[in-house]
Amino acid sequence: MSIGIAPPAYIGAPAIESPPAKSLWSDAWRRLRRNRAAVASAAFLAWISFTAVAAPVLPGLQDPTSQDLKLGAVAPSIAHWFGTDELGRDTFARVIYGGRISLLVGLVGTFVSLLIGVSWGAVAGYRGGRLDDFMMRIVDILYSLPYIFLVILLLVFFSRSLIMLFVALGLVQWLTMARIVRGQVLSLKQQTFVEAARALGAGDRSIIFRHIVPNTLGPVIVYTTLTVPAVILQEAFLSFLGLGVQPPAASWGTLVSDGARLLALFPWLVVFPGVALSLTLLCFNFLGDGLRDALDPQDRADVA
Amino acid sequence: MEGGEALSATALLYCESMIRARSLALAAALALPLGACAPASPPIARTASSAARYFGDVTPPTDNVLRFNLGAEPETYDPGLAVGQPDGRVARILFEGLTREDPKTLAPLPGQAYRWDISADRLTYTFHLRPGIAWSDGTPVTARDFRWSWLRVLRPENAARYASMLYPVENAEGYSKGTIADENRVAIAAPDDSTLIVKLAQPTPYFLYLTQFYTCLPVPRPAIERYGNRWTRPENIVCNGAFLLKYWRQNDRFEFVKNPRYWDAANVRLDGLTAYTVEDLNTSVNLYKSGVFDWCPSGYMPSAFIPYLREYADFRHGNYQGVYFYTINVTRKPYDNVWVRRALNAAVDRDAIANDLLKHSREPWGNAAPTGYPGYEHPAGLRYDPDLARADLARAGFPGGRGFPKLAILINTSEDHRRIAEAIQEMWKRVLSIEVEISNQEWGSYLQATTALQYDVARRSWIGDYLDPNTFLGMYMTGDGNNRTGWSHPRYDGMLRAAAREVNPAKRMAILRDAEALLLSEGPEIPIYHYSTNELVKPYVRGIYQTALDIHPLTYVWIDRDWRRHAPESPFADAAPARPASAIARAASAPGAR
Amino acid sequence: MLSFVVRRALLMIPTLWAIATVAFFLMHAAPGGPFQAEKAIPVAVKAQLMHKYGLDQPLRVQYVRFLSNTARLDFGPSYKFPSRQVREIIAEALPVSAELAGWALLLAILIGVPVGIFAAVRQNSLADFASMAGALAGVSIPNFVLGPVLVLGLSLSLYVLPPALWQSPASRVLPVVTLATAYVAYIARLTRAGMLEVLRQDFIRTARAKGLTERAVVYKHALKLGILPVVSFIGPATARIMMGSIVVESIFAVPGLGRYLVNAAFNRDYTLVMGEVLFYAALLMSLNLIVDVAYTFLDPRVELA
Repeated sequence: MSIGIAPPAYIGAPAIESPPAKSLWSDAWRRLRRNRAAVASAAFLAWISFTAVAAPVLPGLQDPTSQDLKLGAVAPSIAHWFGTDELGRDTFARVIYGGRISLLVGLVGTFVSLLIGVSWGAVAGYRGGRLDDFMMRIVDILYSLPYIFLVILLLVFFSRSLIMLFVALGLVQWLTMARIVRGQVLSLKQQTFVEAARALGAGDRSIIFRHIVPNTLGPVIVYTTLTVPAVILQEAFLSFLGLGVQPPAASWGTLVSDGARLLALFPWLVVFPGVALSLTLLCFNFLGDGLRDALDPQDRADVA
Repeated sequence: MEGGEALSATALLYCESMIRARSLALAAALALPLGACAPASPPIARTASSAARYFGDVTPPTDNVLRFNLGAEPETYDPGLAVGQPDGRVARILFEGLTREDPKTLAPLPGQAYRWDISADRLTYTFHLRPGIAWSDGTPVTARDFRWSWLRVLRPENAARYASMLYPVENAEGYSKGTIADENRVAIAAPDDSTLIVKLAQPTPYFLYLTQFYTCLPVPRPAIERYGNRWTRPENIVCNGAFLLKYWRQNDRFEFVKNPRYWDAANVRLDGLTAYTVEDLNTSVNLYKSGVFDWCPSGYMPSAFIPYLREYADFRHGNYQGVYFYTINVTRKPYDNVWVRRALNAAVDRDAIANDLLKHSREPWGNAAPTGYPGYEHPAGLRYDPDLARADLARAGFPGGRGFPKLAILINTSEDHRRIAEAIQEMWKRVLSIEVEISNQEWGSYLQATTALQYDVARRSWIGDYLDPNTFLGMYMTGDGNNRTGWSHPRYDGMLRAAAREVNPAKRMAILRDAEALLLSEGPEIPIYHYSTNELVKPYVRGIYQTALDIHPLTYVWIDRDWRRHAPESPFADAAPARPASAIARAASAPGAR
Repeated sequence: MLSFVVRRALLMIPTLWAIATVAFFLMHAAPGGPFQAEKAIPVAVKAQLMHKYGLDQPLRVQYVRFLSNTARLDFGPSYKFPSRQVREIIAEALPVSAELAGWALLLAILIGVPVGIFAAVRQNSLADFASMAGALAGVSIPNFVLGPVLVLGLSLSLYVLPPALWQSPASRVLPVVTLATAYVAYIARLTRAGMLEVLRQDFIRTARAKGLTERAVVYKHALKLGILPVVSFIGPATARIMMGSIVVESIFAVPGLGRYLVNAAFNRDYTLVMGEVLFYAALLMSLNLIVDVAYTFLDPRVELA
């Protein structure tokens, strides 16, 4: 074990004992469908993703940047379902468009962390020895730097574009993923099917990415589902510090942190984006928990 | 007490014309309605009425301690090295200069000096220190202390950022910049313990104001030599003001107690002050509302709240010597073209920003220097004119915005800056049909980008240091560290230099006026709004007044437990008619003026 | 045991060196420097300041000096607050942050662990679902929303608690509750997962078979192991709360460590940033060491190698 940090146990599902049989995935699917909270969450997420993607063509949706300074902030009405902000912009439209950014940040940020974390962890775990020590020491070092320090510096170095926001969030999220994958790989590489592949003459690269990585998918999927809300929440935290997306674009995080400051005057500016944000986070968490239950092989043994 | 009255009159005699003009102009400025459009909310109630509504709790504290928000944590409250407003506030609580501010008009009143003489050529000031003044450790405050303190500010190795405040003194600039090595050539002399003679390089009409500025406050030499830069710590500090520092926890609070050795301690009615350093604006207002703060100074409430606070009797709103503006980087294409700059200027609807977006909490402003300078008449301000803006842009070679590169507005992270930038972004897009983006940078990057001229258009603001338009116009001189636009105009530089040499105040102001007109027509700056002070003061707090520089002497503030039965205090500088010169002369010759 | 602790402590040194190096060069590569201000600092003054703090020397000279000073635990004075040593700033803010983190974690454990056990014992029941949904709701509300809502409701409408400041015991309630909410959720989930894992194991079946009451099984046997994930979570979480509670610190004006770090990074206060970063790293690693030692007491299967 690398020094310093115990792996966060709550996301570390035990290593899968055998190569994935079809039954594992179909069992998992069957069990996931039985979990009503997870299904409802998935449905909600699908719906919210649809509105976010379709926002530009949604009929009747107002322009989220169109201002009316004379109007200012008004409470919800027929004309403005969610009210307007101080610049007279339609909050409903801004919540829908904010979802686009928040979901995008969450998904892309997670994807970046997935990409780095899985490759890093797989290589370190598979190669082992001094390379493993070295790679995991780097993870330890980055892990011991305060998160906010890293993010601020990343955002300061590379201009504050949306892409950089994805990268910055991904770059600080991949560490845990790398640890989980490494742990999985360490136990997987001893298994017979890997030996078999090696005996058949498969190269390291092919063994890692064809045979080992697919077998870590269970815990990776679970952790990914839980990373998305974490990234969305972190983006909201960055918005609170004023480090979020560049205006006039606004994520849910921007809307909520702005709205929270005006809570006493214009509560609708925090209530609507806040509900959207919290429900989405809640659903991702429910889905993640549901997936964990569904993919947990020990639990499966109990059922069997 | 009576002596004090007479003494202030003595002071008035010596700078009589200046002060009278100033207080008149101030009064006039403050009496002006706020902009052309009257505020939407009812005007501030000035008279007592049982229906007066207050924002939150109005129970006076049980002790005689004033609690208020200092806002940001001071970087240092060493007077000579202090920079920001919070720094200065703490320094002024602990130390007293040769003069001190009138709490209403800010006119210089006798402080550690009980009187002073000014030579006929207005170049030599002789200050006579009050007998019996002492440091908090009991040692007397002498003229040598002042000389040492001022030279300390000027000494290059001390790197005092506000050393330039003392540059009017003969040879001070040279000594501070290292071209003069001998400190004795700086024209500050202390022939005896109670006399300080200062010779100026050129007549500086605002010099007496500088003697009350925090850079010029006296500091205790033995403590500084003993403790180095740790002398300001509560356990080491020695001071001469009305209050002593008892406790300090960074990012939390300062606790001050009354200084029994202060020369006018008999008239100090508070037992102490507690200054909290609460930076979050909402938290600041919450603490005022819940009655923890007795005073929430200007700048420490979210600006979105201001329009809604107007209906409360404890809210005060007034002019402030500051301008919020955008600067244009003229070293970048196409902003080197004056027509582009004029187009951008004419496309900003200041009324919409100040009146609609900010709900009359600020005044739309199209001039470079703010209002309220005695004897200074502004040139015509810049106005919103979309047709002119389009014509100017076409003249610059971008008809209908075609071919104009994407413009980026640089702001530092703040919700208020962002809202305004979003509004202006929309105006430029709409009027000029150009593409505009907002670049929101954290503080360090923002400062770097503005100083290194790595921006197109940047948000700036400026608060006056003293009551003279020079504090605003001077920064556009070629090479001035605060210019930050790359704009340089020989004729402008020449005008400002001529104004500095000019002895006749009226002529001087006329030159400055022409300079401002030139600056506006050249358009390196886009003025947006005039600052205002917006503060909350509990009705039981007496002696805190609205002032044009947002400076508040706290020496004589008191808590009025019986405030409901007393007439409310007018928070504004008294617009009392100026006393005839003869009356002042009579007062000056009254006994006690010694 | 002792040799394990000593070896781990010694291993912290190279890691801290690497962290110091990374942080030092990252910080110095950021645009701008500590001596810039909205009101320009005259060129000569700025040069004096740079000279005074040795910032005019080549970066590698500064780096060597920084390392040798750091080795003596001397981070120098803060550039932004020149009358204060970085060490003093940290020493002053540390007790506040430790207290805030301590109360918040204690509250989170006192609520989270029972809820987690309750949910685990009744797995897949409605009670399980409801308590987990409640816990998840806690993580899903950003604390910069929760804080102002609590202040508006409890301080400004009902006047029962002070809205901010770190003074009376009552003033600690809102920041602690705001901070604890998210951690209640984490801890409840961890406890539930840990307990479920343990309750499946053979020795629990044995214990049940021996006829022990369910209560005794859960609290005497299962809890000791089921709580392990919480223990390993608490270690790093303590460090993270102490340094990362920026939102709560600014909303409730708590003079803790977190705001210093963010403001120092924005102001390029190099010395203060380095002091805080290294302090955080050392704290995090020490807490992890403590967690590992604690494991040996809780789980007989773990041996320190």
